[in-house]
Amino acid sequence: MNSCCVSEVRRCRPLLGTFVEVCAWMPASSCNRTEMLNRAVANAFASMERIESLMSVHDPASELSLVNRQAAERPVRVSAETFEVLRRGLDLARESSGAFDFTVAPLLALWGLLPSMLKRRCPGNWQAVRVLRGQRIQFDRPLALDLGGIAKGYAVDRAVEALQAAGVSSGWVNAGGDLRAFGDRPLDVGIRHPRTGQHLPSSLRIENEALATSSPTFSLKRWKGAMVSHLVNPRLGCAMASPIAVTVRAAECWIADALTKAVINSMNVSNASQLERMLDRHQATAQVFSA
Amino acid sequence: MKHVRTAIQWIALPAIAITAPCPAWTATYLSVEQAQQAIFPGVQLVKWELQLTPEQRQAVEKSCGIKVRNPKLAAWKASEGAWFLVDEVIGKHEFITYAVGITADGAVKQIEVMDYRENYGSEVRQSQWRSQFVGKRRGDQFKLDGDIKSISGATLSCRHIMEGVKRLLATYELVLRK
Repeated sequence: MNSCCVSEVRRCRPLLGTFVEVCAWMPASSCNRTEMLNRAVANAFASMERIESLMSVHDPASELSLVNRQAAERPVRVSAETFEVLRRGLDLARESSGAFDFTVAPLLALWGLLPSMLKRRCPGNWQAVRVLRGQRIQFDRPLALDLGGIAKGYAVDRAVEALQAAGVSSGWVNAGGDLRAFGDRPLDVGIRHPRTGQHLPSSLRIENEALATSSPTFSLKRWKGAMVSHLVNPRLGCAMASPIAVTVRAAECWIADALTKAVINSMNVSNASQLERMLDRHQATAQVFSA
Repeated sequence: MKHVRTAIQWIALPAIAITAPCPAWTATYLSVEQAQQAIFPGVQLVKWELQLTPEQRQAVEKSCGIKVRNPKLAAWKASEGAWFLVDEVIGKHEFITYAVGITADGAVKQIEVMDYRENYGSEVRQSQWRSQFVGKRRGDQFKLDGDIKSISGATLSCRHIMEGVKRLLATYELVLRK
């Protein structure tokens, strides 16, 4: 494509715990649409900022922090977005028999990977989370939720919707590897070696779909003689520490994001067919790179 | 008849490090003028030539606990007492150039990455750390594992941008606000 007659805006900001890139294009016939593209990209960032302010586990002022502080005592009313992410996460926890579970924050806090205020004495699992009428959340016992395994993908979806609503014909949003492309321009995504972190010569091409990758490589640390990472296996209470990377493709980014955890946490389970069925149900595919 | 496909593909990679040179992943997002327009749209900015004196340098370092590598400050004053600053931090191996808008009451208005030069791109996902700089003020807690967190390949880059913003806020308080 001749770049001189394509309007393109590409931006990057530190957001959602990573560097988020937003790219928006207009076709040749609509040159000089930079103003409109700038507005669209600003809207996309604003929508992700909103999600972060609602669901950040690190921000004591976020809605999620309020839920973590109070939901064991009384039902807490939350925004439509937070309610939606919690509902989807619980559905996926049920469907994966707990391979995806966003109640692992106390363990991550114990290992020093999340703020210590999230430590809990006898934490439960996803089954202790109740979604009630009127957008309210309640815990059956003291829990701490971390939406890090799903909310970033959800934020990418919201950003893509913001771009599309502003009339952008094609583009992509990349939140540190949780990404989604839309429109008629495919995006080539590099893959890195799960042990060395180096780029592999091959890449993945995505078009009108989302991609997410999880790997313990970059959060590995030693804790009391054991290796831990941010990828907790909720059913075993231990972390994935092997040099692997799991990449999931799906139509939307929230499900790609969450399914990477479900796949990683099912890897040592003999029931691979349940996993295959779950991916099929969401029309997703997974690639497991092991070193 | 349902079409059956394999939903999971296993790919074993050689355990040895790949020896081919790994090209740095580099992106240029904004020029200085574009970053100014992005953060202060339509505002006339006036360039200020500023070089921190050794005393000011020391004061900034003491105030925020972060080394001032470059005493030169790329600063533009916005009409209503707000500032536009361009700064560089080291990412993992290379420099990241970014711009920060500071409002008249000393809070971060917006951050834009202008140039990102890294050997480690940002394709590998990370757990959430909080990069909600907007509204941060000097004296707010800036600490990894505290209110801002970084995990993964971009840990260093994230930390350095964070420290850069903290250093610029301290510089604003001690040098620019007067």
